[in-house]
Amino acid sequence: MLRRSTESHSGGEVVVAEGDRVDMTPVVLAPRKRSSNFRTIAVLVVLAGAVGLLLSQGLFKNLNYFVTVDEALAQKHHYGTTTLRLEGVVQKGTITRTATGASFVIDGSKSQRVSVSVSGTPPQLFQANIPVVVVGHFISATSLHFTGNQILVKHSANYIASHPNRVKAKNGSVR
Amino acid sequence: MIRVAWLVARKDLRIELRSKVLLWQVLPFGALALLLCGLALGPADAGHSRAAPGLFYLVTLFVALLMINRSQAVEQASGTAESVATLGMDPAGVFLGKTVALAIELWVAAGLLLAGTVVVLHTSLVGTVHALPSVFVTLGAMACAGTLYGALTAGDDGPATLLPILALPAFAPLLVAGERSFSAALHGGALWEWWVIDLVALAGYVAIGVLLYGVLEE
Amino acid sequence: MNKVTQRLLGPLTLLSLVGTVFLGLWVTPKATMHDGGGDLVRMLYVHPALAWVALYVSFGTTTIASALYLWKRTRSATMDRVAYCAMEVSVLFIALTLVTGSIWGRPTWGVWWAWDARLTSTAILLVLALGYLALRRANDDPETRARRSAVYGILVALNVPIIHFAVTWWKSLHQNATVLTVSGKVSVHGSMLWTLLLSFIAFTLWYFWLLRARYRLEVRSDDARQSHLAAAVAERQREGA
Repeated sequence: MLRRSTESHSGGEVVVAEGDRVDMTPVVLAPRKRSSNFRTIAVLVVLAGAVGLLLSQGLFKNLNYFVTVDEALAQKHHYGTTTLRLEGVVQKGTITRTATGASFVIDGSKSQRVSVSVSGTPPQLFQANIPVVVVGHFISATSLHFTGNQILVKHSANYIASHPNRVKAKNGSVR
Repeated sequence: MIRVAWLVARKDLRIELRSKVLLWQVLPFGALALLLCGLALGPADAGHSRAAPGLFYLVTLFVALLMINRSQAVEQASGTAESVATLGMDPAGVFLGKTVALAIELWVAAGLLLAGTVVVLHTSLVGTVHALPSVFVTLGAMACAGTLYGALTAGDDGPATLLPILALPAFAPLLVAGERSFSAALHGGALWEWWVIDLVALAGYVAIGVLLYGVLEE
Repeated sequence: MNKVTQRLLGPLTLLSLVGTVFLGLWVTPKATMHDGGGDLVRMLYVHPALAWVALYVSFGTTTIASALYLWKRTRSATMDRVAYCAMEVSVLFIALTLVTGSIWGRPTWGVWWAWDARLTSTAILLVLALGYLALRRANDDPETRARRSAVYGILVALNVPIIHFAVTWWKSLHQNATVLTVSGKVSVHGSMLWTLLLSFIAFTLWYFWLLRARYRLEVRSDDARQSHLAAAVAERQREGA
């Protein structure tokens, strides 16, 4: 609101001194800057670079659910007796079920072996030649014996029908 | 864009200096939360410094949520949005300015809370100082994400209770990375690897904010 | 969707779902205990298909519709509605994915839940989807709501590639992809494979059927809101006159 006055004014009013002319021509604002193509491309490059950096730095190993037998034995000095999840394939002929759980041997890829004793009932798919993840710890910094309180069976993505090569009867039926 | 960012950051920081909401309301809450964490852990010192990084970031999360709401509340003051629109301010600049202001406020809060962890949770002073860069990067990334999510939930009819459910999944990887790097600084371990996750998140959120903030402010 | 397709969608969905159930429960054989867990394999005809719809079909619909809404040339209330309805259906499918996965995981792995990368990121996706629904309810102004939801819908889609690649990037308890494998090889044999593929078709049709129903409901709901508003305005004008 315009008011011609020599008094002090409260906020929201434009005070014009006596005798001044007021310029009433419309003010043309500078056009609002829109995101330029350059900025969009730069942003996408930064995003792509960020993802690429994550992928290239091998950071993902920090989010692994378990360590393999090979990794655990290679880094034994680092893991010591801290609790970890150890993954390996159960060796045939090594499973012994006890009153409190089971003991068995798991294999890494380089024929390195770790003997495991676990308390608690193993899952129903627990068997020889199947990958398992054992939650527990090495009993000492130098020992190759691992003690745990939980076994998880790591199921593969293979699904094979039982009796896939069943012989067919003369009439073509298969039971 | 940089000039607008500087203006907006100055404006927000000036408002904060005058109102002192961080100093008189948010920080006392953070200090109390930290104290309660220490009490909850019990008298024995054994687990305190192991739990300290996680507890520090938990308290910082509460503080960050309050400050993000505050940062957006400042924009909702009568006439502010209209002024920004009329002046034709670059929304990317507004986003960067608010992010910088929020980051500075969070860094100030973190500095005081870290002193609290040394006193209350018995973290080593050297390790805590060692953790400072990773804390600053983590909080910088949280400030970026927080400004973006704060804009999503801002408005008279956008309740403050909406911000946690939207922002928490975004904050989760930042908090985990921050906690792991703080732990590594205190107890040894791969500090740099967790740092990079925060740096990448920071770059990513800055990029997304610059692209999309304008759409939210239309 | 043309009228013929609309008419056929329901019956085809029902037929394919019934076919999946019949084949899955009675026709397909048990798997070996080592590769499939005996009768546990029957969850194969439910869980992967639910995950496929939840992550790619449903969430993909939301993301694409959100992007089309943000692009000015294709901005329309239809895109906003499609994004919203697709996200609601996504929540259902993500929840079912987690539940069926948990049911399978207990006898197979030995636990109901594990904090491995894929499970955790899928749980986060559910929370993000619920956040989207919460965001929709927080705004009354349709344009503001649509815009904010569209931005958020695109942001949350960043989680989907993480879930997909989680089993490849990290060592995880969850097995590798059953169908969308890196090498292209599928290690599912015989009638189990055909039933699996049928389940993908069945659940995808079910998704479109649900989406169509939800979309129609949303259109009617919007029309009802408009007419209530018009009636309220007319009433107020009558009072003022």
